[in-house]
Parts: sequence; structure tokens; C-alpha cells
Amino acid sequence: MTLGVTVITFALLHALPGNLGRDLIANPKATPQAIAQFDQQNGLTGSIWVQYWKFLDKLLHGNLGFSFRFDRSVDSLLATDLPRDLVLGGISLFLSLVIAIPIGIAQAVKRNGVADYAGTAVSFILYSMPQYAVALLLIQLLSITFKIFPPEAPDGSWLYMLEHPAGLVLPIGSLTLVSYAYFSRYMRSSAIDTLAQDYIRTARAKGLPERLVLLRHLLRNSVLTVVTLIGVSVPSIVTGTLITEQVFNLPGAGLEYFNAAVNSDYEVMLGITVLVGVVTVLGNLLADIAYALLDPRIRY
Amino acid sequence: MQRFKQSAFAAAAVALVAIAVGACGSGSNNSSSSTGSAAVTEISGLKQVGIGLTEPTKPSGAKIKGGTVTWAESPELTPNYIFPMTSFAYCSVANTSQFSAMLYRPLYWYGNNYSPTVNYNYSVAKAPVFSDNNTVVTVTLNSWKWSDGEPVTSRDIEFWMNLYKANPNNYCGYVPGRFPDNVTSMSTPNASTIVFHLNRSYDPEWFLYNELSQITPLPLAWDRTSLTQTAPTTDNGKLPDTTKAGALKVFKFLDTQSKALGSWASSPVWSVVDGPWKLTQFTTDGAATFVPNPTYSGSPKPTISKFVELPYTSDTAAFNEFRSGGPSAVTIGFLPPQDVPQVPAIQALGYIDNKASSYSFNYFPLNFNNPTVGPIFKQLYFRQAFQHLVDQPGWIKAFLDDAAVQTTNPVPPAPPSPLIKISAANNPLVFSIADARKLLTSNGWKVVGGGTTTCVKPGTAAGDCGAGITSGEAITFNLDYASGTASLESEMNDLEAQAKKVGITLEVTSHPFDTVIGAGVPCTPTQSICKWTAENWGAGWIYSPDFLPTGESLFATGAASNANGYSNPAANKLIDQTVFAPTRAAETKALTQYATLMSTQVPVVYGPTQVGIYGGVAGTLVSNKLGGFDAQAFGYLNPEAWYLTK
Repeated sequence: MTLGVTVITFALLHALPGNLGRDLIANPKATPQAIAQFDQQNGLTGSIWVQYWKFLDKLLHGNLGFSFRFDRSVDSLLATDLPRDLVLGGISLFLSLVIAIPIGIAQAVKRNGVADYAGTAVSFILYSMPQYAVALLLIQLLSITFKIFPPEAPDGSWLYMLEHPAGLVLPIGSLTLVSYAYFSRYMRSSAIDTLAQDYIRTARAKGLPERLVLLRHLLRNSVLTVVTLIGVSVPSIVTGTLITEQVFNLPGAGLEYFNAAVNSDYEVMLGITVLVGVVTVLGNLLADIAYALLDPRIRY
Repeated sequence: MQRFKQSAFAAAAVALVAIAVGACGSGSNNSSSSTGSAAVTEISGLKQVGIGLTEPTKPSGAKIKGGTVTWAESPELTPNYIFPMTSFAYCSVANTSQFSAMLYRPLYWYGNNYSPTVNYNYSVAKAPVFSDNNTVVTVTLNSWKWSDGEPVTSRDIEFWMNLYKANPNNYCGYVPGRFPDNVTSMSTPNASTIVFHLNRSYDPEWFLYNELSQITPLPLAWDRTSLTQTAPTTDNGKLPDTTKAGALKVFKFLDTQSKALGSWASSPVWSVVDGPWKLTQFTTDGAATFVPNPTYSGSPKPTISKFVELPYTSDTAAFNEFRSGGPSAVTIGFLPPQDVPQVPAIQALGYIDNKASSYSFNYFPLNFNNPTVGPIFKQLYFRQAFQHLVDQPGWIKAFLDDAAVQTTNPVPPAPPSPLIKISAANNPLVFSIADARKLLTSNGWKVVGGGTTTCVKPGTAAGDCGAGITSGEAITFNLDYASGTASLESEMNDLEAQAKKVGITLEVTSHPFDTVIGAGVPCTPTQSICKWTAENWGAGWIYSPDFLPTGESLFATGAASNANGYSNPAANKLIDQTVFAPTRAAETKALTQYATLMSTQVPVVYGPTQVGIYGGVAGTLVSNKLGGFDAQAFGYLNPEAWYLTK
């Protein structure tokens, strides 16, 4: 799958009008000789297949390529960016699950009540709001108007970021609010389906305390849907925080990918594509393992 | 020319504003209001900005010794190359005028406050002396020292020249046939003098502004091929740069060191400086911290204790920082176009909104060599008619928040230059649908407003459509522009609408900046790359390091950057007259004639040139506590002249 994506990305980039070397130089004054020299120095000569083979050769030797724009190896870029993305995406994913799962279950249990309607309204509002708007609203309110939190995420290593939690509140908050809405809706829906199952009715008929019914029977069975979503969401930890990175001034892999697409920095695009492909496979693998752990009936 | 582009990300935010603004439409109403504290002048009924700070800021508070000044870098434009010999791939203001020039002083410094002229006070060398009918140039150095204690000598210039000559394509100032090809020999009679012998007589001013401007003295400590070698301090006659092979190796070594971004601040190579600043910290994200170089030989000496450049992922992130932290967080920033309505709020925080321009002009080319519509583009009447469709006053007001200047020829409309005075008001091709229609009608076209205009008089006689244009041929072509800038999108949409009024069909498309600039290449009609018709990257041309706008690399026949294949013997003659002028008076006369000719020849389509030393922004925000800040005509930073006040 990953290989196929790299082929498509590579082909699309080379299908763009103009000369890739000239695109990368992006200077109307560049002479044909200078462009030819650039192409030669950066392996942009030869047919597309030769160039693709060179890319694959480097990839197989653990070299993700070189960013012409950033003047750094793609490995180095990702080594800087990924830990930041893990902090932002990982913490927000964790928080959104911690909030969404119990609220989703509570809404299902008390469905069509006032609390359910209120929860649904909040979820719909957050779900329908672009992440960009959520982030800007939080900044306007909590940074510019009340000056409680800084408008920027701490720019440094993952450790530096964790040492400056005030700067993480708004970016993680904006990510969490949006993904909370997403997860809670699925959790509520799944829990409603599960509540209608015979084994729930049986458990209740046997006199099992409601707390245990919810924990042992409802949660375990209804969370499977969310586990699928988590598996699918893992790649978004790598590249899904683009808007947050832009608004909160924290360059990460998502932003690098976007900029690479705009700037024809194709080795960065290919490098991140490969990474996301691997992470997607891993995410699905983890989800499959989680299925087996949660539901003994599932065997591979 | 240096690349300056806006954040692509601005598109998302800007688009919202543009939709609202665009809905109002473009008009030619000349009434206008100034934004913030912009200096606005009235020219022929059209209010224009671009005057900016004509002298350094002078806050009323008492001077503070020391202090930190922070500078917001343009989004996506962070330094990524420190070696001053920048190839085209690294030729950006972020790398040169706003970074390495503070560490490694160019031989000559250009920009006198807001005047686009040479500034000897900031230069390493004294004014050059031309002799032997302007075929010999003698440059005498001031008494400067490198931070390693060694003097700045003529050998340091020779070092630059050796690297440059070994492979001129390694430097973005190179124009084939010009510097250093036109230097037949050079000599260093003493440590402070270097003499260039030229292949013919050149205009002294042109040579100073466009050729000597390319030189940056390099310390001999860099004249080696590996870090393990001892850094040379004096010329022992065996330094590697003296042979071509050796010079290429030295370049490769320095290029490699320059690509090791994380090691810049601690590098034994890059720590040898002659400029007023030393780099003490640099992150790969582009955050840079400079402190004064205690051995700086020039003047003025820095009074602030630290200068910090801050990277931003988007102009939204930057502007949020300005709004939240004010001047105490960011001393100098930029005003994103979509945030112009917030100028009063930002001024209340303690910023001055400065509308200074960099020395540039905005244009886009039509491909004369396109096999289909090239013959139409080659017709002067068509180009003039098309220029009549460009509603510059309307665009400036409706889409550019009055933060742009009208452009009618390649000589920048702002900042004003004492070398050449061309008034933007002298626009021979003002926005006029009627004039465009008249030109087309009188040259063999049946104009169908809102429909399809066709050629009804093919041929080459007066009043005919022109060579290569067939009977019944329509005027339909693709206009591709750089995505991500709402104002440019609005401009192109308006141009499409205006063109339709005279039956010209524009197929407007957008691509990323780099793709657009990469597509507009010089070509011949039979080449597959020659299918492009009109490419507008939205950033035009900023004159640096070719500081005199003579156009030899842009509009001369066959010039490297003459993308659309424009060729006019009269233009060539005037360009040559500026390049080879015997006196300044002759050069000024030729340059003025050249600008006048270009305004009627319309070799490219002119558009409004935006203000801002950042390029493509609506202004520069400067703390009202910062003194000595000038609107540098070429966008160079000279924080050694700045000071903070209470």
C-alpha cells in the first residue's frame, strides 16, 4: 500500500507543469545553466522511473531523502517534528477519549433526557466548527482578551513542551474539543445499540449492579467501534494537527507535508507519505490486537 | 533578484476576507482612506502609499542601553543558508539581506534609509574609482577586522572572486556575460586595494550597483576544504582557492557547512564575522539570536544587546502574537493583509504601521513564443489593450487595502530614487475598457463585449490583426496565477471579468507559487514546455543584488530571465546605453527613456506593487519605543542603528 502511494505521489508531482528543478528554485532569474546544475546535483535528471528507482534505493537504505526547502534531511525534519506531534496529537487523543467515552455512555444510558440533548448540542456545535475557528476563538478569548494562556505552543523538544504546559493548553484544548465531539457521537451510538442487546437485559435481570453492567458488559462491547476509530486516527497524530500547528506556531509533520506540497518539495512529501503509510498499518494492527483482547470471540 | 513570497497558509484566512471584499467588486473610484499611520500622498487624484518612514524613528522617551529587539520572520521564509554565496535555490531575503548580511558585510551596502542608493557609511569599501575610460575599477577598503583578529583585506575579495569564477552558477547574482565574466584580470597592489580590469568600458554607476554589489569579502579562515584543517590566517601562497579545482572544493566545503543548520551558532567557520553581529543561537526552525560583535570595525556600533529573529508557521500565528503580547513580545512584525481592519487596535498596543516599500515592481509575462496565442501577444496594440484592462487603482483600493502602488514600467514606483524619477502618475495605459475596445477594433478585430472577439482583418498591413493571426481567430488563453493569496485571486478574477467585456476569454487557473514560477520559462514555440500562456506568481521582481533597474537580465533579447521572449531593438539599445553609459547624466537619460519606452511597450503586464519590506504584506509594524529604525529601501536589516527607549 505504502509503495503504491509513493508511486502515485511521485507520478503526480512529475505531472505538474514546468520543470521540477525550476519549481524548487522558484526564482525567475535562475538561468538554464543554474537549473541544469541544480537538477544534476539533486538527482533530478533522467527519466521519472530512474528518479523513482533512486528514491526507492535511498528508502531501502533508511534514507528518506532531503528537503530542498528546509535544507535538511527528511529524517532530521521528522526527528524534530514527530515528538511534537506525538505530544499534541497523543495527549489530545487520550484526553478526548477519556472525556468522550464516559459522556457517550452516559448520554446513551440517559438518552432523550435533558443531559443527552445538552451533550448532543455541544457535540454538534463542536463537530460542525472548523478546527481553525475553534483555535482562533480560544486564542481570542483566553490569550488576547483575558491573557490567561499564551497564543503559541512551546517550540522545542517534547520535553521542553511538557515543561511549559501553559502553552499546551490551547492547542491541545482545541484538538481535544473537536475530536471529543467525534468520538462521543460514535460512543453514544454504539452504546445505545449495545444497551438493546439481550445480554445487557440478562445482566440486569440477574440483579447485577448497574455500575457493573455498564463497566463489564456495556463498555467492553460498545467500545469496539471506538477502537476502530482510534486505529484509523493514529495516522492523524502524525499529520492531522496541521491547522493546530499553523495557528499555534508549532511546526510539525502535518505542516511540513502541507508546505512540501505547496513548494514541490517532493522528497519531504514522499518521506512523510511513507511514514504515514507505515503508521496507518500499525494503527490498524493495534486496533486488531485490541479487538482480540476486548472480544475473545475474535480470533485471527 | 530575490524571491519573496507570502505564506501559502494565509490563503485560508485571507480567502474569507477576500470573498467579502471581492463581493464589493473592483472599481475605479479614486477616493481612498489611509490605513493606520500610513504615509499617504496624493498623485493625480489617486492616493498612493509607499512613502513610509523617510527618516529613522525617533521616539520621545529616553534611550535605554541594551535591551532585546525581536523581529518576526515571514511565515515559511526562515533562514536555511548562511554562506553569503547563495545559489538560486537559497537566494531569499531571509538568507541574505535579513540574515547573513548582518554577519558578513557585503563590500557595498545599499539603502540609505528609504532611498535606494549606495550607503558608504555602512560599506566595507570606500567609493570605487573608475579610470582608463571606465575600464579599470579600483576599490579601496576601509580598515576593518574580522572577529578572529585578522584584517579585512583585498585578498578576501579575491577569495570571493576565485570561488565565483570557479563556477558562477553557484551565485544567484550571476548574469551570463556580465560579472565576473567581464573581469579580464584583477590585482591586489596592497592589502587594502583591489583593481578590476574590465573587458570594456562600463557605466560606473551601473557597475557599482549591479556588479560590485555581488561581492562579499570572505575571511581567509574559510579558505579550506575540511573542518579538520587549520583555519588559515594569512595567504601563504598555497591556499586552495587559487586554483579552479581547489576553489570548487572550498565551495563544496562551505556549502556543506552551510547546510548543517544545527551547527551554525557553534561553527568555527561561521563564527568568523566582520559584520556588527554574531550568531549565538540558531534552531532548525529558523529562530536566530544575534549579539553585538565586539570587534566590529564599522559604525554605528550596536547599542541593543540582543537581536532575535522569530519564525512563524503562519501570519495568523504571528498576528496573534502581536495582538496578545504587543511590542514587548515582538518589536517588529508585519501586517497581514487580512488584518488591516485591526490596525487601530494594533496601534493602541504601541505599534507604528509603516507602509514602506521594497525596491521592486510587479508584473506577469505573456508568452510571445506560445505557438497558438504567441502571435497575438507579439502585437503591441494587443498588449496595450490588455494593459488597459488592468484596473490598478480599483485593485489597490478594493483588494490591497491601499497598501500598494501603481506600476507602469520596470523602474519601481517606490521607494523614490534620486537616480531616476519616474512618476507613477504618468500611466499611458490607464484602466479603460473603451480604449481597449478601440485598440482592438482599429486593428482588425470584431469586438463582441461579453462574447467572443474575432479577427476579421488578418494580415500584416496597418489596421490588420498582425502576423500569424488567422481570420476568425478568437483571443482565448489560460492565465495561471499563484494560489494562496486572496488579493491576487481577486485581481485575476477581476481581470477575467474586464477582459470578457471586450470579448477576450481568460481561462483563469491557479497553482502553487513554485509551480507557476517554474512554468513560465523561456522557450521556443516547438518545445513542449512552451504551452504556457500567462503565468502570474504575484511577486514580480525585487532588485537585489541588481540594484539599478536597468533590465538587462529581464528585457534584453535572449536574457536569462526574459521568460516570454520579448525582443525589441530599441529596448536593447537603451539597456546597453545604461550599462555602457560614459557618464551618470547619460545613464539617467537612457534609464528614463527606457522606463518610458517600457511603459508603452508593455513587454509584460504590469500590476500594483505591494508595500512592505517583507514583501506581499500590508505594512510593517514597528514598536513605538524603537528608535533608529528606518524603512530600508532594499529590505536589509541594520539593527546596529536601532535603540530602545523607555
